[in-house]
Amino acid sequence: MTKTARKERLIWLDIMITLVALELMSCFYYGLRSIVLGGVCIAVSLITEILCLRLMNRQFTADDLTCTSDALIIALMMPATMDYGIAGIACVFAVVAAKNVFGGRRNIIFSPAAAAYIFMLTSWEKKLLLYPQPHMRTGIFDEPEGLVNSVSYVYNTTGKMNYTDFELLMGNFSGPAGSVSILMLLIGAAMLILRRDISAGAFLGTITGTAFLSYIVPASPTAEIRYTFVTNMVLFAAVYIISDRRIAPKKEYYAFFYGLFIAVFSYVIVLTTGKENAIVIVSVLFTPVSLGIKNLEKKIELAHIEASETAAENFSAVDTTVIENSDEKTEDTSNE
Amino acid sequence: MNKERSSVFSGIIGNNIVLSSLMVVSPVIICGDTLKNAAALVYAFSAITFLSVLISSFVPKKLSYTVKVIIYAIISSLVYIPVKWAAQEFFPGAVERIGIYFPLLAVNSLIIFRSEAELYKLPKNRMIIKLIFYILGFDAVMLTTGFIRELFAYGTINGRIVDVSTPVIGLAQPFGGFIFLGLFCGLYRWIRSIVISKKEEIRGDADVSGK
Repeated sequence: MTKTARKERLIWLDIMITLVALELMSCFYYGLRSIVLGGVCIAVSLITEILCLRLMNRQFTADDLTCTSDALIIALMMPATMDYGIAGIACVFAVVAAKNVFGGRRNIIFSPAAAAYIFMLTSWEKKLLLYPQPHMRTGIFDEPEGLVNSVSYVYNTTGKMNYTDFELLMGNFSGPAGSVSILMLLIGAAMLILRRDISAGAFLGTITGTAFLSYIVPASPTAEIRYTFVTNMVLFAAVYIISDRRIAPKKEYYAFFYGLFIAVFSYVIVLTTGKENAIVIVSVLFTPVSLGIKNLEKKIELAHIEASETAAENFSAVDTTVIENSDEKTEDTSNE
Repeated sequence: MNKERSSVFSGIIGNNIVLSSLMVVSPVIICGDTLKNAAALVYAFSAITFLSVLISSFVPKKLSYTVKVIIYAIISSLVYIPVKWAAQEFFPGAVERIGIYFPLLAVNSLIIFRSEAELYKLPKNRMIIKLIFYILGFDAVMLTTGFIRELFAYGTINGRIVDVSTPVIGLAQPFGGFIFLGLFCGLYRWIRSIVISKKEEIRGDADVSGK
């Protein structure tokens, strides 16, 4: 197994561990249904990925298991009571239209999970943006009842937050199944950054941009910076979508600005339109920026290689002339 | 002889103007979300293209390319006027629903470019047959797209409700049309490559046995 392949698998494993932790928190608040939803997403993604690879005459390897982490991200961005059919369609869309159409896991240009989320948003907005209250259990095959708007929606439209800091930290408020567990997200982010599984630059850029703008232009007189992070899936998107190593620029310096721009644009959209979870939409819209920066990185790398090669050639040329001169000198002295 | 015959009929499957050459894709993507829209577009495209190409084929070949293209555009614009009147009679509301894509059909690339590059080089009767098959190819794609998108996006077929449990509204939108047409093209090219490789295999076997 090559070093890069091993690294890729370890990254997938680390991300899966943090996602499973979020899934467990979701199970604690919403019951077994959220686990079943996650299972459905993983199963559909896996089957679709195998079929796509078959059609492309490729073999399914352990590296292709990354589709399961994307599936779990999709499941955690939905309400725990989401229709299984819709979740399945979203996963098929993510694997087929957002990933394999572009050439598979090595040619990903935007997060398949984010693309699937936007697809769901355009097709089933009402079902996607109505959430169950925490501790309100819905049976595995029951129709959900008593759904409410998310805290993000209330905060975006009224600027009010009626939850204590402890409740916010523990994720005890209505919202997407996995993106409300702020404490788990913070722990997951720290772990993934320390193990270099996600782009630290992109993550810090997103956080810095959001914090800076929410300090300079608060959403309302009562708004506080911490509320900006817990609402609109900002923290979740910062960890699992924007900082995804497959998409973010390689160098942390460039990745920082990539994250910063996404944060600034999404904050402006939330502020002006009140659009829920705008950061996910903006992350997909910023695909050309990411691709452009990556191209720039490649050009800089090539220029460095060329420069070092010409330097080495010049050095060897100087070296040979010095050796020739010294040879001539020794010949002269011997003649004398 | 067989090759010549198949090249004339290839417009419907083998050399489909939408799936193979990606011509006239914008009406398919933007307006092909229902069977009603698709039928109106099929009528407009077929009538405008057939009449325009047929009339334009009498334009003297000696003229320069630029002048000829301008004349083709003028002819198709003139043909567009009665076609629109008829559309308002037979497909009420369709012209408004389709919007700018309806008049844009008058300057579609089959009339302006493909006719000059390919059709006018053929004898008249072969040209007409080939043109009809090109038009039928577009019609088939348009109707298939309209049918599938309407079924999955609205859960209806020609306005009649069908039992579709989870309608995908996104499929009715332009981005859904793009994705659908992209996947359709991919499927078409995949099937075509299989057919071509099988034909070559058969030809290869025949050569070996002939030797």
